[in-house]
Amino acid sequence: MEHHQLAWYVAGPVLGLCVVAVRLLFNARLGVTGGFSEIVGRLSRGSLRFDWRGWFAIGVLLGGTLFALPAGGPDFHGYGWLTETFTGGGRWVIPFILAGAGALIGYGAKASGGCTSGNGLSGNALVSPASLAATATFFSTAIVVSFLIEAVI
Amino acid sequence: MRRLVAGTAVGALFGVVISWSGMSSPEVIRHALLFEQSYLYLMFASAVATAWAGLALLRRRERRSVFGGETLTYGRDPVERRHITGALLFGIGWGVADACPAPIATQLGQGVGWAVFTATGAAAGIWLFLRRRAIETEPASEGHGTVTAVGPAPVTATGR
Repeated sequence: MEHHQLAWYVAGPVLGLCVVAVRLLFNARLGVTGGFSEIVGRLSRGSLRFDWRGWFAIGVLLGGTLFALPAGGPDFHGYGWLTETFTGGGRWVIPFILAGAGALIGYGAKASGGCTSGNGLSGNALVSPASLAATATFFSTAIVVSFLIEAVI
Repeated sequence: MRRLVAGTAVGALFGVVISWSGMSSPEVIRHALLFEQSYLYLMFASAVATAWAGLALLRRRERRSVFGGETLTYGRDPVERRHITGALLFGIGWGVADACPAPIATQLGQGVGWAVFTATGAAAGIWLFLRRRAIETEPASEGHGTVTAVGPAPVTATGR
Protein backbone atom coordinates (compact mmCIF):
# COMPACT_ATOMS: atom_id res chain seq x y z
CA MET A 1 0.00 0.00 0.00
CA GLU A 2 1.33 3.44 -0.91
CA HIS A 3 -0.48 5.05 2.00
CA HIS A 4 -0.32 4.21 5.64
CA GLN A 5 -3.62 2.92 6.92
CA LEU A 6 -5.25 5.56 9.10
CA ALA A 7 -5.37 4.35 12.73
CA TRP A 8 -8.67 2.60 13.46
CA TYR A 9 -9.29 4.80 16.47
CA VAL A 10 -9.21 7.83 14.18
CA ALA A 11 -11.05 6.35 11.18
CA GLY A 12 -13.90 4.83 13.21
CA PRO A 13 -14.82 7.94 15.20
CA VAL A 14 -14.70 10.15 12.08
CA LEU A 15 -17.08 7.78 10.27
CA GLY A 16 -19.27 7.85 13.39
CA LEU A 17 -19.28 11.64 13.36
CA CYS A 18 -20.43 11.56 9.72
CA VAL A 19 -23.47 9.58 10.92
CA VAL A 20 -24.13 12.24 13.57
CA ALA A 21 -23.67 15.05 11.02
CA VAL A 22 -26.24 13.52 8.66
CA ARG A 23 -28.73 13.24 11.53
CA LEU A 24 -28.15 16.83 12.56
CA LEU A 25 -28.24 18.23 9.01
CA PHE A 26 -30.99 16.17 7.39
CA ASN A 27 -32.62 14.20 10.23
CA ALA A 28 -31.84 11.05 8.28
CA ARG A 29 -29.72 7.93 8.37
CA LEU A 30 -26.41 8.07 6.62
CA GLY A 31 -26.44 5.35 3.96
CA VAL A 32 -24.54 4.86 0.75
CA THR A 33 -27.16 2.47 -0.64
CA GLY A 34 -29.78 5.17 -0.12
CA GLY A 35 -27.63 7.45 -2.27
CA PHE A 36 -27.18 4.82 -4.99
CA SER A 37 -30.90 4.17 -4.90
CA GLU A 38 -31.68 7.87 -5.35
CA ILE A 39 -29.35 8.02 -8.36
CA VAL A 40 -30.72 4.82 -9.94
CA GLY A 41 -34.32 5.89 -9.32
CA ARG A 42 -33.85 9.35 -10.85
CA LEU A 43 -31.82 8.08 -13.80
CA SER A 44 -34.43 5.45 -14.62
CA ARG A 45 -36.92 8.31 -14.88
CA GLY A 46 -34.52 10.29 -17.09
CA SER A 47 -33.69 12.85 -14.41
CA LEU A 48 -30.40 14.08 -13.00
CA ARG A 49 -31.94 16.12 -10.19
CA PHE A 50 -30.61 14.04 -7.31
CA ASP A 51 -31.45 15.01 -3.75
CA TRP A 52 -28.77 15.25 -1.03
CA ARG A 53 -28.61 11.45 -0.74
CA GLY A 54 -27.53 11.12 -4.35
CA TRP A 55 -24.96 13.85 -3.83
CA PHE A 56 -23.76 12.14 -0.67
CA ALA A 57 -22.96 9.03 -2.73
CA ILE A 58 -21.25 11.16 -5.39
CA GLY A 59 -19.30 12.76 -2.53
CA VAL A 60 -18.11 9.31 -1.36
CA LEU A 61 -16.87 8.64 -4.90
CA LEU A 62 -15.12 12.03 -4.97
CA GLY A 63 -13.57 11.16 -1.60
CA GLY A 64 -11.94 8.19 -3.30
CA THR A 65 -10.61 10.50 -6.00
CA LEU A 66 -9.32 13.03 -3.46
CA PHE A 67 -7.51 10.21 -1.70
CA ALA A 68 -6.04 8.67 -4.87
CA LEU A 69 -4.89 11.90 -6.55
CA PRO A 70 -1.80 12.54 -4.38
CA ALA A 71 -0.77 8.90 -4.86
CA GLY A 72 -1.43 8.94 -8.59
CA GLY A 73 -3.80 5.98 -8.45
CA PRO A 74 -5.54 3.41 -6.27
CA ASP A 75 -3.82 1.99 -3.20
CA PHE A 76 -3.97 -1.60 -4.45
CA HIS A 77 -3.40 -3.52 -7.65
CA GLY A 78 -5.38 -6.34 -9.19
CA TYR A 79 -8.62 -7.31 -7.47
CA GLY A 80 -8.05 -9.55 -4.46
CA TRP A 81 -8.72 -13.28 -4.71
CA LEU A 82 -10.44 -12.87 -8.08
CA THR A 83 -7.41 -11.70 -10.05
CA GLU A 84 -5.19 -14.16 -8.13
CA THR A 85 -7.42 -17.12 -8.96
CA PHE A 86 -8.56 -16.30 -12.48
CA THR A 87 -5.43 -15.51 -14.43
CA GLY A 88 -4.63 -15.35 -18.13
CA GLY A 89 -7.43 -16.76 -20.28
CA GLY A 90 -9.68 -17.25 -17.24
CA ARG A 91 -9.93 -13.55 -16.50
CA TRP A 92 -13.09 -13.08 -18.53
CA VAL A 93 -15.17 -14.60 -15.71
CA ILE A 94 -14.25 -11.82 -13.24
CA PRO A 95 -16.58 -9.14 -14.68
CA PHE A 96 -19.48 -11.60 -14.49
CA ILE A 97 -18.67 -12.60 -10.90
CA LEU A 98 -18.36 -8.96 -9.85
CA ALA A 99 -21.57 -7.95 -11.61
CA GLY A 100 -23.43 -10.88 -10.03
CA ALA A 101 -22.04 -10.05 -6.59
CA GLY A 102 -22.94 -6.41 -7.19
CA ALA A 103 -26.53 -7.35 -8.02
CA LEU A 104 -26.80 -9.33 -4.76
CA ILE A 105 -25.30 -6.37 -2.88
CA GLY A 106 -27.71 -3.86 -4.44
CA TYR A 107 -30.86 -5.94 -4.17
CA GLY A 108 -29.98 -7.36 -0.74
CA ALA A 109 -29.15 -3.95 0.73
CA LYS A 110 -32.42 -2.48 -0.51
CA ALA A 111 -34.44 -5.42 0.79
CA SER A 112 -32.80 -5.36 4.22
CA GLY A 113 -33.06 -1.58 4.59
CA GLY A 114 -29.40 -0.66 4.23
CA CYS A 115 -25.83 -1.74 3.72
CA THR A 116 -22.76 -1.65 5.94
CA SER A 117 -23.27 2.08 6.43
CA GLY A 118 -27.09 2.38 6.58
CA ASN A 119 -27.71 -0.62 8.81
CA GLY A 120 -24.21 -1.35 10.07
CA LEU A 121 -23.28 2.14 11.26
CA SER A 122 -26.40 4.32 11.31
CA GLY A 123 -29.02 1.74 12.29
CA ASN A 124 -26.88 0.09 14.95
CA ALA A 125 -26.04 3.48 16.46
CA LEU A 126 -29.82 3.91 16.92
CA VAL A 127 -29.93 0.41 18.45
CA SER A 128 -32.57 -0.50 15.88
CA PRO A 129 -33.43 -4.22 16.15
CA ALA A 130 -33.78 -4.57 12.36
CA SER A 131 -30.28 -3.19 11.84
CA LEU A 132 -28.77 -5.35 14.57
CA ALA A 133 -30.31 -8.45 12.98
CA ALA A 134 -29.29 -7.44 9.45
CA THR A 135 -25.72 -6.63 10.53
CA ALA A 136 -25.30 -9.94 12.37
CA THR A 137 -26.66 -11.72 9.29
CA PHE A 138 -24.55 -10.03 6.63
CA PHE A 139 -21.36 -10.16 8.67
CA SER A 140 -21.71 -13.86 9.44
CA THR A 141 -22.74 -14.63 5.84
CA ALA A 142 -19.77 -12.75 4.38
CA ILE A 143 -17.43 -14.52 6.83
CA VAL A 144 -18.80 -17.96 5.89
CA VAL A 145 -18.59 -17.12 2.17
CA SER A 146 -14.97 -15.97 2.57
CA PHE A 147 -13.98 -19.19 4.33
CA LEU A 148 -15.81 -21.23 1.67
CA ILE A 149 -13.91 -19.42 -1.08
CA GLU A 150 -10.68 -19.95 0.84
CA ALA A 151 -11.43 -23.67 1.07
CA VAL A 152 -12.17 -24.01 -2.64
CA ILE A 153 -9.41 -21.95 -4.25
CA MET B 1 -28.44 23.91 -3.09
CA ARG B 2 -26.89 24.20 0.39
CA ARG B 3 -28.32 20.77 1.18
CA LEU B 4 -26.63 19.27 -1.84
CA VAL B 5 -23.29 20.88 -1.03
CA ALA B 6 -23.54 19.69 2.58
CA GLY B 7 -24.46 16.18 1.43
CA THR B 8 -21.54 16.09 -0.98
CA ALA B 9 -19.13 17.40 1.66
CA VAL B 10 -20.08 14.81 4.28
CA GLY B 11 -19.91 12.16 1.56
CA ALA B 12 -16.43 13.28 0.53
CA LEU B 13 -15.17 13.12 4.13
CA PHE B 14 -16.73 9.67 4.47
CA GLY B 15 -15.12 8.58 1.19
CA VAL B 16 -11.65 9.86 2.12
CA VAL B 17 -11.77 8.00 5.44
CA ILE B 18 -13.11 4.80 3.83
CA SER B 19 -10.19 5.00 1.39
CA TRP B 20 -7.59 5.97 3.97
CA SER B 21 -8.64 3.12 6.25
CA GLY B 22 -7.95 0.71 3.40
CA MET B 23 -11.59 -0.37 3.04
CA SER B 24 -11.47 0.17 -0.73
CA SER B 25 -9.03 -2.69 -1.01
CA PRO B 26 -10.62 -6.12 -1.51
CA GLU B 27 -7.50 -7.63 0.12
CA VAL B 28 -8.06 -5.68 3.34
CA ILE B 29 -11.74 -6.69 3.47
CA ARG B 30 -10.88 -10.31 2.78
CA HIS B 31 -8.24 -10.44 5.51
CA ALA B 32 -10.82 -9.04 7.91
CA LEU B 33 -13.53 -11.52 6.93
CA LEU B 34 -11.02 -14.38 7.32
CA PHE B 35 -10.18 -13.07 10.83
CA GLU B 36 -6.60 -12.36 9.81
CA GLN B 37 -6.82 -8.67 10.75
CA SER B 38 -8.80 -7.00 13.52
CA TYR B 39 -8.70 -3.49 12.03
CA LEU B 40 -12.16 -3.55 10.41
CA TYR B 41 -13.89 -4.75 13.57
CA LEU B 42 -12.15 -2.22 15.79
CA MET B 43 -12.91 0.61 13.37
CA PHE B 44 -16.49 -0.53 12.91
CA ALA B 45 -17.12 -0.82 16.65
CA SER B 46 -15.56 2.58 17.38
CA ALA B 47 -17.62 4.14 14.58
CA VAL B 48 -20.88 2.73 15.98
CA ALA B 49 -19.91 3.74 19.53
CA THR B 50 -19.07 7.30 18.44
CA ALA B 51 -22.27 7.63 16.42
CA TRP B 52 -24.29 6.24 19.33
CA ALA B 53 -22.74 8.72 21.77
CA GLY B 54 -23.16 11.62 19.34
CA LEU B 55 -26.80 10.80 18.69
CA ALA B 56 -27.43 10.46 22.43
CA LEU B 57 -25.99 13.95 22.89
CA LEU B 58 -28.20 15.41 20.13
CA ARG B 59 -31.17 13.72 21.71
CA ARG B 60 -30.48 15.11 25.18
CA ARG B 61 -30.17 18.62 23.81
CA GLU B 62 -33.36 18.17 21.78
CA ARG B 63 -31.68 19.48 18.68
CA ARG B 64 -33.58 20.39 15.53
CA SER B 65 -32.39 19.50 12.05
CA VAL B 66 -30.32 22.17 10.33
CA PHE B 67 -32.14 22.07 7.00
CA GLY B 68 -35.65 20.93 7.91
CA GLY B 69 -36.00 22.67 11.28
CA GLU B 70 -37.97 19.75 12.72
CA THR B 71 -37.11 18.02 15.99
CA LEU B 72 -34.74 15.17 15.27
CA THR B 73 -36.17 11.66 15.31
CA TYR B 74 -34.41 8.44 16.25
CA GLY B 75 -36.63 5.75 14.77
CA ARG B 76 -36.04 2.06 15.42
CA ASP B 77 -37.45 -0.68 13.25
CA PRO B 78 -38.70 -4.10 14.38
CA VAL B 79 -37.09 -7.12 12.71
CA GLU B 80 -38.92 -8.38 9.63
CA ARG B 81 -38.16 -11.33 7.44
CA ARG B 82 -36.75 -9.09 4.69
CA HIS B 83 -34.04 -7.79 7.01
CA ILE B 84 -32.66 -11.32 7.29
CA THR B 85 -33.18 -12.53 3.72
CA GLY B 86 -31.90 -9.27 2.24
CA ALA B 87 -28.85 -9.30 4.51
CA LEU B 88 -28.14 -12.91 3.47
CA LEU B 89 -28.02 -11.89 -0.20
CA PHE B 90 -26.00 -8.82 0.68
CA GLY B 91 -23.54 -10.89 2.71
CA ILE B 92 -22.96 -13.31 -0.16
CA GLY B 93 -22.24 -10.44 -2.53
CA TRP B 94 -19.99 -8.75 0.02
CA GLY B 95 -18.00 -11.94 0.67
CA VAL B 96 -17.50 -12.59 -3.05
CA ALA B 97 -16.68 -9.06 -4.22
CA ASP B 98 -15.02 -7.98 -0.94
CA ALA B 99 -16.65 -4.59 -1.36
CA CYS B 100 -19.87 -3.05 -0.12
CA PRO B 101 -21.52 0.11 -1.49
CA ALA B 102 -19.21 2.75 0.06
CA PRO B 103 -16.03 0.98 -1.08
CA ILE B 104 -17.57 0.39 -4.52
CA ALA B 105 -17.99 4.18 -4.79
CA THR B 106 -14.47 4.93 -3.50
CA GLN B 107 -13.00 2.31 -5.86
CA LEU B 108 -14.72 4.07 -8.77
CA GLY B 109 -13.38 7.39 -7.51
CA GLN B 110 -9.88 5.93 -7.28
CA GLY B 111 -10.09 4.75 -10.86
CA VAL B 112 -10.30 1.01 -10.17
CA GLY B 113 -11.67 -0.39 -13.44
CA TRP B 114 -13.03 -3.61 -11.92
CA ALA B 115 -15.42 -1.57 -9.79
CA VAL B 116 -17.40 -0.61 -12.90
CA PHE B 117 -18.74 -4.19 -13.04
CA THR B 118 -19.62 -4.32 -9.35
CA ALA B 119 -21.28 -0.91 -9.54
CA THR B 120 -23.25 -1.86 -12.65
CA GLY B 121 -24.45 -5.01 -10.89
CA ALA B 122 -25.40 -3.04 -7.77
CA ALA B 123 -27.31 -0.49 -9.85
CA ALA B 124 -29.14 -3.33 -11.61
CA GLY B 125 -30.00 -4.96 -8.27
CA ILE B 126 -31.32 -1.69 -6.86
CA TRP B 127 -33.24 -1.00 -10.06
CA LEU B 128 -34.82 -4.45 -9.90
CA PHE B 129 -35.85 -3.86 -6.29
CA LEU B 130 -37.35 -0.44 -7.06
CA ARG B 131 -39.19 -1.83 -10.06
CA ARG B 132 -40.62 -4.78 -8.13
CA ARG B 133 -41.76 -2.49 -5.34
CA ALA B 134 -43.33 -0.06 -7.82
CA ILE B 135 -45.27 -2.90 -9.41
CA GLU B 136 -46.40 -4.16 -6.00
CA THR B 137 -47.59 -0.78 -4.79
CA GLU B 138 -48.98 0.57 -8.07
CA PRO B 139 -50.83 -2.19 -9.92
CA ALA B 140 -51.62 0.22 -12.77
CA SER B 141 -48.03 1.29 -13.36
CA GLU B 142 -46.60 1.09 -16.87
CA GLY B 143 -44.35 -1.79 -15.86
CA HIS B 144 -41.96 -1.68 -18.79
CA GLY B 145 -38.86 0.10 -17.66
CA THR B 146 -36.39 -0.06 -20.49
CA VAL B 147 -33.40 1.14 -18.49
CA THR B 148 -31.13 -1.79 -17.80
CA ALA B 149 -27.81 -1.66 -15.98
CA VAL B 150 -27.51 1.97 -15.02
CA GLY B 151 -23.90 2.91 -14.64
CA PRO B 152 -22.29 4.69 -11.73
CA ALA B 153 -23.07 8.22 -10.80
CA PRO B 154 -22.25 10.74 -13.49
CA VAL B 155 -20.23 13.46 -11.88
CA THR B 156 -21.24 15.94 -14.55
CA ALA B 157 -24.69 16.78 -13.19
CA THR B 158 -24.91 20.39 -12.10
CA GLY B 159 -27.45 20.01 -9.31
CA ARG B 160 -29.98 22.63 -8.44
